[in-house]
Parts: sequence; C-alpha cells; structure tokens
Amino acid sequence: MSAILAIAGREWRAAFSSPLAWTLFAGSCGLAAWWLLLAVDGWSQNAAAIAARAEAPGVTDLVVAPHLASVCALLLAIVPLLTMRSVCGERRDGTLPLVFSAGAGDAELVLGKFLGAWSIALLLVALLVAMPLLLALGTPLDFGRIAAAAAGIALLAGALCAIGVLASAVAHHPATAALGAMGAGALLWIVDAAARTRGDVNGLVNYMAIPGHLTAALRGVLASVDLVYFVLLAGFCLALATRFVARIREDG
Amino acid sequence: MDAALVRVEGVARAHAGRRALAGVDLELARGEVLALLGVNGAGKSTLLKLLAGVLKPDAGTIRIAGEDLLGNPTAARRLIGYLPERAPLYRDLTVAEGLDFCLRLRGLRGAAARAARDRALARCGLAEVARRLSGVLSRGQQQRVGLAQAVVHAPALLLLDEPTAGLDPVQTAGFHTLVLELAADAAVVLSTHQLHDVEACASRVAILHEGRVVDRLARDGFDALQQRFFAAAMGVRAA
Repeated sequence: MSAILAIAGREWRAAFSSPLAWTLFAGSCGLAAWWLLLAVDGWSQNAAAIAARAEAPGVTDLVVAPHLASVCALLLAIVPLLTMRSVCGERRDGTLPLVFSAGAGDAELVLGKFLGAWSIALLLVALLVAMPLLLALGTPLDFGRIAAAAAGIALLAGALCAIGVLASAVAHHPATAALGAMGAGALLWIVDAAARTRGDVNGLVNYMAIPGHLTAALRGVLASVDLVYFVLLAGFCLALATRFVARIREDG
Repeated sequence: MDAALVRVEGVARAHAGRRALAGVDLELARGEVLALLGVNGAGKSTLLKLLAGVLKPDAGTIRIAGEDLLGNPTAARRLIGYLPERAPLYRDLTVAEGLDFCLRLRGLRGAAARAARDRALARCGLAEVARRLSGVLSRGQQQRVGLAQAVVHAPALLLLDEPTAGLDPVQTAGFHTLVLELAADAAVVLSTHQLHDVEACASRVAILHEGRVVDRLARDGFDALQQRFFAAAMGVRAA
C-alpha cells in the first residue's frame, strides 16, 4: 500500500512541476466559466418568459445541468493529457527499474498511477462543478441533483483515467497515448450512435456507451447499474494495463 | 547456518525464445565484491535483473539472506539495492526528494527516513547538491545519485550494472572508491566489461558467456584475467 501511495503522490508532483497541468486547469476553468456565463446570460434574458410557463424549469435545469454535461465532454479531452506520461513517461526516462526493484509490483504501479491521475482529475472536477454553485447566492439550486451529477462525473473521470493509464502503458510516446485515450473515450461516447439510429436502445452496444450512464446522474439519480458500468470499465482497463506493464518489465 | 548472503542455484531465463541465462550458480558472502564479466549479450544485465527481482527466472532459486526471492519477494527485496545501467533519475526532483521517494516506495517515512536519506547523501558525497535537481547534475554526479538511491535503505546486497559506463577516469576512480566503502557493509555484484573495474573493486570474478558462467577467478588469479576473459569471449572454456 505504501508503494501505491508513494507512486500516486509522485504523480501529483510530476503533474504540477510542469506547466502542462497548470495550463490544462487554467484552460478548462476558463472555458467552463465562459460556457457558464453564456448559459446564465441566455437564462437571464429569457427568465420572465420561462417563469410564466406552467411547470417552469429552474436554474438547475437550464444552467447547471448543461454546464455539467459540458464538463463531461471537456474531461474527454483533458484527462488523456493528464495521464499520457503516467507509464510511458517512466518508461522513456528509464525510471521503471527503480520502482520495480523497490518492491512495487505491476498492479501496484498501475494502481498508484491511476489513483494519482484520478485524484488530480477529481480536483479539476471539483473546481468545475463548484462554478455554478455561486448561483446559489442569487437563486435556489437543487443541491441533491448537483451532488448526484458530481458523483457521476467523478466516476466518468475515474473511467477516463483508467483508459488513459492503459493507453500510456501501451504507447511508447506520450502524444500517442493521449491520442489513443482520446480516441477510445470518443469511441465509447458514440459507440451506440448507429444502434440508436436504428431505434435499438437496450442492446449490449448501448450498455457500452458512456452517455447513457451519465444521463441519469445528470438528472439527479445515481443508479447502481451506472456505478457498476464505470467500475467495470475502469477495472477492465486497469487489469489490461497491468498486463502491459508486466510485459514492459519482462522486456527490460 | 548458511554463510552465503546470496545463493543462486540453477537459474535459467529465456527471452524472446533465446536463452539469456542457463544453469547459473553463484554464492556471495557479505563484504565480497563479485564482478560479472562478459561481452555485451553475455547475460550480465539479465542476471542482475533477476537478482534485483525485476525479472523472474524460468527455473532455479535465488535466496538473499535465506529469503526466497520468488517465494517471499517483499522481504527479499528489502535487502536489495539496484543501480541499473542507466541511473533511474526523476529529473524534476531534487536529489533529496528522489531519495525520499525511494524510501516512501519501501514504506519508510518520518525521522528514520530523513536519517537514512542524510546518511546516503553523506556516504555518496552528495550533501552539497542535495537541493539541486537531478536532471542538471553532471554524469558522474547523476551516477552517484543513482547509487545513493540504491543504498539509501542500507541493503545487504548491492547490484551495480555497468556503473562506470560513460564516466571519465577521475569519476571512475571516485566511483571505485565509493563501491569499496559500501562493500564494507554489504555484498556487491558488479556487472561490467571493463577490466579496470574488476581490478579496482572485485574480490572475485565470474566470467559469463552466452548465458553461462564459463570461468571463475579469485583475486589472486587476476594476473590471468585478461587472457581468460578473451578466451571466454571467444568461446574457449578455460581449464
């Protein structure tokens, strides 16, 4: 366990000692803030008309939920950039023998990398989710729904981190790892597009798609089936990453 | 009571369908420096990786102070320090931070870890550069940092893979002195194809060729070292 925590802590140091993580955090927050301001502006211009409707949707429906949905899309692009150096960076720098000879196993290395990346991604998620909470100063918000959505986004971040660590274990170059992880995330985002076009919504391919497992969370319901999906996706990727790390170790 | 700190019996290892090591037997006591001598591809680095627990043997056993490296790897690895051919440095960490990370990997924290770090810095002559980033140090200093990382937890067995490769003669001489000082408390296995490394540091030599130990010499037989090394390299087993 100490090796896992040491490796996770090392990920924090590696991330924030380079400009990359700071740039990604600043860019993500700037972009999300801009989207949020656009949504608030659109809502404030139509507030009177919306309020006049029966069963009028609230700020949480019209501003916060779209903001959180856009955070999910943002993570698809940002998380692979956070994870791209996790394994292949060590491989290129020749530091893996240090970790292995200190007693860390393949699974410990992968878990440490994953926990480090996920905790960094969770910090970003916390910042992005906290932005619309400022609206509570002027209007009531559905905090239960926001909490469920935040949990769903945190699970998505975990799954994307696991995909990123896997890509980093497979690739020889960080840029390749980032592109691979972005491609895999995008594929899982649209994998059921053709099935949906045909009207199929309950097949295996639909279950594999990420958006279907976020919809309920963004509506305020954290379903166990969605929780299991993200845990399975992350677990599968981490198990595969462990196999690839073992191969890297065996190849010297 | 087993006098040998390290006992290697019948170790074999193949890589990509090719024999890397076959039937290697070795014994080493505390205070000894064993040099593994051989040409490139002889199996020296593979044997060191097996001793370090980075690779697993296909056959055979490795015991460090009685602990089976395969059966009880956690306990055995605590006793091992390993410096690969290319010193494994985190270039964004200072020398002291790199040592702290090594100690945390091994579960050591707090005052004991700080004392171990300071001891390693002092032993390896790195106290003055402890706050400098590893990536900006000279090649010789980086090699010392690698050595400090290998010895920071006071291992009983120190494994050095081509430790003087790329060092200038002054740095090499300094490194030899350092290895001899460290050997006072530990057994050292040194992989090299440099005869001057052997003559400066080793108390015994095992010459490897094509994955097998083809010759062994004690220090009093080093006069014939060059002749027997070349004989082994050409595939002629010495008498």
